[in-house]
Amino acid sequence: MAKPKIASDWLAGCAGCHMSLLDIDERIAIVAELADIRATPITDLKEPDESGVDVGILEGAVNLTTNEEVAHRMRKRCKILVALGDCAVFGGVLTHRNICGTEEALKRAYIETESTDDSGKIPSDPELGVPTDVRAVHEVVDVDIWIPGCPPDPDTIFYALSELAQGRKPDIKGDKLHWH
Amino acid sequence: MVQLTIDGKQIEVQEGITVIKAAKQAGIKIPALCGHPNLTPYGGCRLCVVEIEGMRTLQTACTLPVSNNMVVRTNTELLHESRKFILSMLFSERNHYCMYCQVSGGECELQNAALAEGMDHWPLQPNWVNFPVDSSHPYFVLDHNRCILCRRCVRACAEITGNFTLATENRGAQTMIIADYNVPLGESSCVSCGNCVQICPTGALIDRQSAYRGLAPDADHIPSTCVGCSVGCSVDLIVRDNQLLRVNGDYQGVVNKGAMCELGRFVPIFSKNTRLHTPMVKKNGSLKAASWEEAFSVINSKLKGNKSVAALVSTRLSAEALYAFKKIFIDHLGSSMVTSIEEHIPTAGLDQVIEAGLEANLNDLNEADTIIALGADLFRSHQVAGFIIKRNLPKGVRLAVIDVGENMMAERADLVIQPKPGTDYDLLMGLAGKKSFEEVAKTSYVSEKAFKELQKLIAEAKRPIFVYGKGITFQEGKKNEKSPLKALIELAKTVQGKLFSPKGKANSLAGHAYGLDKMFTAEGCDVVYMALGDDEASQNLMQRLENVPFLIVQASYDSKLTAKADVVLPVNIWAEEEGHYLNLEGRLQETKAGLTAPEGVLPNVQVFEAIAKALGASLDGNWKSDLEKYIRE
Repeated sequence: MAKPKIASDWLAGCAGCHMSLLDIDERIAIVAELADIRATPITDLKEPDESGVDVGILEGAVNLTTNEEVAHRMRKRCKILVALGDCAVFGGVLTHRNICGTEEALKRAYIETESTDDSGKIPSDPELGVPTDVRAVHEVVDVDIWIPGCPPDPDTIFYALSELAQGRKPDIKGDKLHWH
Repeated sequence: MVQLTIDGKQIEVQEGITVIKAAKQAGIKIPALCGHPNLTPYGGCRLCVVEIEGMRTLQTACTLPVSNNMVVRTNTELLHESRKFILSMLFSERNHYCMYCQVSGGECELQNAALAEGMDHWPLQPNWVNFPVDSSHPYFVLDHNRCILCRRCVRACAEITGNFTLATENRGAQTMIIADYNVPLGESSCVSCGNCVQICPTGALIDRQSAYRGLAPDADHIPSTCVGCSVGCSVDLIVRDNQLLRVNGDYQGVVNKGAMCELGRFVPIFSKNTRLHTPMVKKNGSLKAASWEEAFSVINSKLKGNKSVAALVSTRLSAEALYAFKKIFIDHLGSSMVTSIEEHIPTAGLDQVIEAGLEANLNDLNEADTIIALGADLFRSHQVAGFIIKRNLPKGVRLAVIDVGENMMAERADLVIQPKPGTDYDLLMGLAGKKSFEEVAKTSYVSEKAFKELQKLIAEAKRPIFVYGKGITFQEGKKNEKSPLKALIELAKTVQGKLFSPKGKANSLAGHAYGLDKMFTAEGCDVVYMALGDDEASQNLMQRLENVPFLIVQASYDSKLTAKADVVLPVNIWAEEEGHYLNLEGRLQETKAGLTAPEGVLPNVQVFEAIAKALGASLDGNWKSDLEKYIRE
């Protein structure tokens, strides 16, 4: 049997969950042995295989049309989708802007900041994604496994990856389950 | 007793208790958010639902009384689904930003409940509606975003404190916790006891000082006794890295059952006093740092063989310290002016009340149907005792306040009488039927209507308690013929009432037992020794110490008094010492050291030991024997 393929990507996050993933240290070799690590934001291959992967991992919240596309692409190309970290699971820190509204937040950031002169304007370009309200990943696409934590413990990440690589569903509870 | 089965476990429990309490006795934990052992059941959050055989729907274990042969299940798939659903709704209602909440990670009962149910995400996301944050209070913040409307704070305010400041307005999802008629907390009738803060299951009510300094589960917990006043509340000192994070009331505490007041809970945390770190001796007119040896040798030269030493001690100090103080200054030096800084006022005449067998304890106060306060203001001076009265008033307890001046109890009293100062004897003799109203009116200027009303109130009482305070005992010290306490004893006997004395500071009663019971005067003394500990001296006392030839102060904090002393000895504060305290009802309690004192600072008792050694005084004897007469329980 071929090794299961794992791919990851990030949305609106701080990359901390991927840092925590790297914090599994030498155990990454075990994961690489058990699974075929495909595209990730920290390796050369950036997009999950069109032919599909077994496990897709998403870090970060959805706060932009571009992120929506990334989330949909990952969902389409993976069998099991994992939401990794508080932003992917709950929306995280970014959801603060939902309270004042995205429009207000953009105005404050690009026009009203004390260091901005009269020429301040909200960036808009067909090349750029359009900011939206901040959502958890499961508000945009179906999620199969949630691993909360800011960031989740490397031990929890290693446990989840090794379970997934061996075709089992990780059970995130007890010591492995924490928010914040 | 009733028999029931919980999760297959056969148990026998007391009749009338709730299922959640029965389960607890059987060692089975049922999660609850609105329910709290020290509050009346509310049944609002529905997290504690259980399955009862024969009942169609899930039942709230916190409100359901046990019945014979009941079969309860607390751990089924249906219940977990139901609890998860309740939690999902709670998280979706407001903004629970766990990642920057002070209580996240072990102290939040909401988060803990979710983690216990294995919730790895919120099936229902919040609506992102902004809720206000009330930060108008000096000690704590109310963040409505984190509130789950469990009403624990509202019930604590009513049932523990009896203050009824907190309430709710509107209904359903629009419900808000409010203070009074929706005013900011800092401008409300709040008495800053913090009982709501301690009982809040989430981070909605958090104190300003301990936020982000460590979570209670990671900190050390030291059970101790509050020395703020003579009530002697059982407390939990929450300490991390030798810093006092919080002082919580012990919900199992015999005296206070978890209740605390501002003085016990917040003052120790928020006080900005400057600690003294080194002994000081006055040289060429100004205080200079000195070694302990040098300070002790100066003190020794001043005290040795000196008959004209006056000595004062704070009754905030432990019984052990008070005993050592007495041994040195009364037994060894034989000084004639040895007393406490309370100067016996709160305990004057106490022995005649005890001899008459009329002394009431806190339980009597709780069971009284009528309370007559004379020259005592428990809402100000002994607040946790005051809470007992406050929370019982809505149950029909009647309160009369007789005081010459301002009294916080007057606001809630059925009757307030302000007699002319110093005329309590006549008024009380009148009430006891030993004087006619005309005679009473002649001196006290009390109106006939008020007198008659008070007479009626006392006559109708089944279990009256007369709370007498310094306003009465102050007159005792004057040794005149008209002792108001004698009249009060007379009156209490005629109406089968009891007398409740709040006394004064934490060890007032012990001070009384050790005979530290004189009015202070510095006249004719060439040295005054003031063992203040971590207490403060009153303005009045400071004035009388103005022209003392040589002043030695043993204190924890820098103050006006230490500034004009000739020798200053730095000592531990209460949270750094172990010792015994005799509370107002004669309960002997202990304080435990939760903190390590700064280097160079000595425990109070150790200072006395060193002085005794230098003077050749003996400290032999048992500190407890003098107290025996006053120990109850």
